[in-house]
Amino acid sequence: MSFHKNHWLLFSVIFFGYIALSWIVAIGPAIWVQDHAHALPGAKPLTPIERRGLQVYVAEGCIACHTQQVRPLKMDAVWGRPSAPGDYAYVKPLDIWHPYAPAVLGSERTGPDLTSIGARQPSEIWQYLHLYNPRSVSPDSIMPAFPWLFKVVAKPPADALVVPLPPTYAPPSGTVVATDKAKDLVAYLLSLKQVPLQVACGSGAK
Amino acid sequence: MTESSPILSVDRPLVVGKAHAESVVEHDTAWTRLIYVYLACATLWLVVGTLIGLYLSIKFLAPDVDHVPWLSFGRLRPVHTNTVFWGWTSLAMIALVLYVVPKTNQRRLYSFPLAWASLALINLAVIIGGLCLMAGINNGGQEYREYIWPVMAIFAAGVILIAYNLIRTIADRGVEEIYISNWYIMGGFLWTSVLITISYLPFYQQNGISETIIQGYYMHNAVGMWFTPIMLGLTYYFLPKLLNKPIYSYSLGVLAFWTQMVFYTMIGAHHFVFAPTPWWLQTVAIIFSVGMVVTLAAGTGNFLLTMKGSGRTIARSYSLPFILAGVISYFLWSAQGTLEALRSLNLVWHFTNYTVAHSHLTMYGFVVFLLWGGIYGLIPRMTGREPSHLLAGVHFWFALLGYFIYTFALMVGGTLQGMSWILEAPFIQSVRLMEPFWLLRAVGGTMMFLAHLIFAYNLWRMRPLRAKREMPATQMEALA
Repeated sequence: MSFHKNHWLLFSVIFFGYIALSWIVAIGPAIWVQDHAHALPGAKPLTPIERRGLQVYVAEGCIACHTQQVRPLKMDAVWGRPSAPGDYAYVKPLDIWHPYAPAVLGSERTGPDLTSIGARQPSEIWQYLHLYNPRSVSPDSIMPAFPWLFKVVAKPPADALVVPLPPTYAPPSGTVVATDKAKDLVAYLLSLKQVPLQVACGSGAK
Repeated sequence: MTESSPILSVDRPLVVGKAHAESVVEHDTAWTRLIYVYLACATLWLVVGTLIGLYLSIKFLAPDVDHVPWLSFGRLRPVHTNTVFWGWTSLAMIALVLYVVPKTNQRRLYSFPLAWASLALINLAVIIGGLCLMAGINNGGQEYREYIWPVMAIFAAGVILIAYNLIRTIADRGVEEIYISNWYIMGGFLWTSVLITISYLPFYQQNGISETIIQGYYMHNAVGMWFTPIMLGLTYYFLPKLLNKPIYSYSLGVLAFWTQMVFYTMIGAHHFVFAPTPWWLQTVAIIFSVGMVVTLAAGTGNFLLTMKGSGRTIARSYSLPFILAGVISYFLWSAQGTLEALRSLNLVWHFTNYTVAHSHLTMYGFVVFLLWGGIYGLIPRMTGREPSHLLAGVHFWFALLGYFIYTFALMVGGTLQGMSWILEAPFIQSVRLMEPFWLLRAVGGTMMFLAHLIFAYNLWRMRPLRAKREMPATQMEALA
């Protein structure tokens, strides 16, 4: 009996060995973290509109270029304090098609980190201009424009959210107003702020 | 100037005549057709997937080239990656597996209908998955986990059916020992079946960090426990076969196999170094990343020592140069992965375009080059029809130079990006400085895409013709 001659022995070791290793490095730590990463004091869960905004964020693939994680490194200080596991406690599954928390941490910074974009760019109007065409506020940006989150109307209704575009970026005629999706997304982006970590001196573990 | 130049003389022409493949050795037309159709579908996805990749590379230079939601960068990027992953690379790899496993077990494939069903399922997953992504329906996941679970379930069904098909073939083998290729191949299928199941079950990824842990495990293993082992297994067949000599050391292959399983599985967390995931998990990942050097050295050393002394054969072949390039890439770019995991270097390269270069170096330089070597080595021997030797050479050089230009541009640019962040320059500086490198990437990408068109033409040249017309009378008599 050996691996070379007994295929059931070989395949069983391959199969169950891999499951065991996966428990050690993936499932086990994930369960532990899930049970232990509590929301920070002062953190609030997403409101319904912010949640819908997160859905737009996911659908448009913003995750491909933007991170939401601040590393404990000097160069990352510009984005905020180092991220803690508790910062992501309220990142929750969206619906039956997304039964996992969305992967907001990201893996690339083709664009800037968005951990605290709500604090860094708190202007709603700036956010709308930037989403309609990023070049309108940041000339060297290579971010895609999202004109389909807006619509062009001849005469905006009184309650419409008008985007005051500079002439270069405005459509030839009509006025650009934000759709609900744009409002949701901006609400989500503005909600992205870090909760301060309050560590009082001398209150550490004894 | 009658004296010929020392570089281009009559004795040293620009292109070397390549050896012809021996005449048809396989007469099982159903088998040939199955494998050829797998490859034809795969190649269609190669052309589609890399055309999308090329278009995306242009968007870095001209972000307003279109304003169509379905073609938006964020939606289209996963279409590129998933199409080349699950459509092209996976199907092409499975095509070769469907040859190697029956061949090394001296049995006909257990079930042809099942193999056709797998092909249909995988194609279906790539079509539906791509359309969903463009429509903005994705999993909310990161790299290679963007298909929503019902789509990935279709893909997984295809993979599991093949795994079953192969196990039945191996269990009924006509030889006593299980050849090493089958270890790696079955490893790839069993590990990937487990991997997709674990990564798509929701119970332990209900908040941001737990999902991140599973994502690190998944994105790493989806490459290294699917493509890597199966490509190595295929190379353990094609390399000795095409060189017509035994593998240098069977035991080194076994050592590399077990270390692959134990070390590689542990290192997914190195994709989130410095993230708020458990520090011990990151350290374990980094340590085993260094351990992978053992696996790499054993595997590459084995292949290179097998090739030792066969320089002439390799130069005279149009398939072996692809395998040589693939083997060297395997070592270099996997070792690069180890370096990227080290905290001191991760500091510079993480989040930059350097990682994009790395994924192309490994998936393309290693996996795809070995695939092409296998395809050019096998198909002429099944169909009796050869590709254009000259065009196979053009394919090789365009693909090689193309991916060198692509990846070296992004490695230099990515390093500068990281430096710019360390120097705490304004962020937009790291976007501005990338422009020339993104241009070079598009140039390299164009060369790669042209190489793929040439390969598609060559595959068409190798297509099987009807057996009656193709087979000489003497062979027909011999078969009768």
